Order: sequence, then C-alpha cells, then structure tokens
Amino acid sequence: MSAVALQLGGSLIAILLLAWCARRLGLGGDVRIRTTDEARRLAREAIFDFEAAEVGLDRAGIGALLRDCTGRVMLLRRHGAHFAARLLTSYEGIRLDRNFLVIATGERAFGTVTLDLRDEAQAWAATLRRLGS
Amino acid sequence: MGIDPVPYAIPAFVALILLEMLWARRKAPTAYEPRDTLTSLALGLGSTAVGIAAAGALYAAAMWLYQFRIFTFGWQWWVWPLAFVLDDLGYYWGHRLGHRVRWFWASHVNHHSSQHYNLSTALRQTWTGPVALSFLFRIPLALAGFHPLMLATCAGFNLIYQFWIHTEAIGRCPRWFEWLMNTPSHHRVHHATNPRYLDRNYAGVFIVWDRLFRSFTPEDDAEPVRYGISRQLGSFNVLWAAFHEWIAIARDVWRAPWRAKWGYVWRLPGWSHDDSRETSDMIRARWLQSRGGEDPA
Repeated sequence: MSAVALQLGGSLIAILLLAWCARRLGLGGDVRIRTTDEARRLAREAIFDFEAAEVGLDRAGIGALLRDCTGRVMLLRRHGAHFAARLLTSYEGIRLDRNFLVIATGERAFGTVTLDLRDEAQAWAATLRRLGS
Repeated sequence: MGIDPVPYAIPAFVALILLEMLWARRKAPTAYEPRDTLTSLALGLGSTAVGIAAAGALYAAAMWLYQFRIFTFGWQWWVWPLAFVLDDLGYYWGHRLGHRVRWFWASHVNHHSSQHYNLSTALRQTWTGPVALSFLFRIPLALAGFHPLMLATCAGFNLIYQFWIHTEAIGRCPRWFEWLMNTPSHHRVHHATNPRYLDRNYAGVFIVWDRLFRSFTPEDDAEPVRYGISRQLGSFNVLWAAFHEWIAIARDVWRAPWRAKWGYVWRLPGWSHDDSRETSDMIRARWLQSRGGEDPA
C-alpha cells in the first residue's frame, strides 16, 4: 500500500513539475490567426472540403467565422496552441453586441466564444440568423 | 517470474519528457502546451490508479482462465519472446477494434484527444479500460497456456515501448527498423486526423501486423500530419476528456429510436441511424472521391 501511495504521490509531483517546466520554458506560445488565408487553411484542416467563401476574422486573431458556398458556417476558436472548429447549425445561443458576436455552441466544454468582428459583426449576425433557431 | 516494469520506467518517462521540452523550446515551441501537458499527465495518473485498482480482479480472471489452459508453456527463456509477440498481436486486434467499435473507442478516444503529439501524449491513457472490457483481446493467451504474470510483464514492456514513438523529434529510423517495428513516423500517422491517414497503423510494437492485415499507410512528407480527433475536443477538462464519448453514447442511445439504439454502442464511431454524421470510412471515401478515387494506401 505504501509503495502504491509513493508511486502515485511521486507521479503527481512529477506531473506538476513538468507542467510548470512547460510554462516556464514558454512552450505553446501565443498563436493567432493573422490572415484570412490562414483561417481558410485552418477550416480546410478541420473539414477537408470546406472552401470558405467569406471569412470574418476576430480583431485579435483568436477566432474566426467562415461560410462556404453551400451555406455551412464554421466557427474557429483558439484552443491552446491550436484551433478547434464547430459547424454552426442554428442561431440559438448567438448574440450581437455592437462589434461583438457572442457565440454559445451549446457545448459546455467548448464554451462561449466572443469575436470582435468590427463593422462586419452585423452582417455576420444576419448570416447566422438565416441558419434559423 | 513476472514483474510489472512500468513503475520502474516512470523516472525515465519524466526525464525524456523534460528533454523533449528542451528540444521543443529550440525547434518547435508549439509542440507542447502547458495545459495540454497537464491534461495528458493527469489522465496518465488516473489511468495508473485505475490500473492498480483493477489489477487484482484482472489477475484473478486470468488465473481462472489459466486453470483451463490448452498447453503449459512454463517459464523457459524462449516462451518470453513468443508471449511478447503473441501479446502484441492481441494488442493489435484490441487496438483496431478500439477504433472500429464505438464502445471500445469511448475508452480509447482520450488517448487521441490531444491536438499535440509529444511524449506526454503517450501517457494520456484511458480511465475506463476495465469497464470497456478491453482486456478481452489479451487475456485469451492465458487460456492458451501462458502464465498471467508473464502476460502482465509482456504488456508492461509493450506499453513502455510505445512511449518513445509519441514524438515529432524523431523523423525516420533505419529502413529495416521502419519495416519491422512501430516507429514515431508510423505512429504519427495513427494519431492523424487527415482523411488520408484516418484509422491506419494500429500496431503496438511490430508494424508488420498492419502490413499483414492491410491497415498500413506510410507517412507522406508532402502531407504534414494534423493530430487529434475528427471533431476536436476544444477543452482541457480532464473529466471531459476521460468521459465525453461515454456521455455521448448515453445521449445517443437515449434519443435514438429503439431499432437504432444498439447501433450507437457497437457500430463505427460516427455512425448514425439517419446519416447525420460521418464515420472515418465515410470521410475517407468522400476525400478519395474528391481526388478522383486514387487510394494512397
């Protein structure tokens, strides 16, 4: 029993040490979507045949909204040093607040995403409203 | 007699992760992410605890089977490599079904749920293996006549071997080694979400199983690997990573019409009774079609 406790306790200390080292070494960095082309590439990586016709890029580059010619709308948001995508299928949980679009995907673990789309926010809200509720 | 080699390997795991972090700092800073590392290692710790808790019951089950053994292989030196190779074959099929049957995938998916591929990902192990009955693919060797302690030792060395192949720091190994053994290159393909690479390279130690059972695809330098799962988790929550697919199965079974309920448990991950989702086969087929049907494998 004491050997098991030692193994688990030692492992826990090692885990915290390694996570601290990763942070201390500055790993992960500060990834951002810099251009609409980069957003398009990330969308294709998420769904191989998603060819974005329109891209709304967050001012800080932490996320983006993309629409393809078949009407699919994809939300990209930063997840650590990568990006995670969701196809949006309804307007439910989406709110326009001046230049900001607040998007709740309905997945608690994925969270709510706030995108600063500047003067494009209204147009994107209209696009999303067409998805229905 | 048999031993569990994994606890003895833990200090080496820690040291190698540290070394890989130093490599990442110089060559690829985004190869690690502190929260992702913490999630992976916490999953590893939980898996160890579950393993310790279930070890007695699994050993008892294997010993029960062993009393009905067909042969008695004993402890001669040559039995060890034979047991290791056959255990790895059992691993291959268990792993393959771990990707092709949603019940088993629910247990295995957390190993794939990181968008990173580094040595900490290797320790991102299941918490629900005993519940999913994943051991069913390896325990029959006890019935064949291999002592359960020997099998447990082989399984431990198998796990240790698979640690070092979870890295981007190593490109390719010598050609003969790449032909015979599972390597970082082959296993990167296994962790990929690119349609070309989906559900390939299930091997544990010997890649020859994939060559033999036609599930091998080599890494193509022209197509960089993207890691994770088709629908990325988008969360560092350890509990969500460990249980999300089980929760999804429960939801699907609850909502599905009666005739489709079992399909959400036993069919391919991504299967749906109304074709509203895609399995890896469907994604791959659509991708192949978009390329004019040319199969790279």
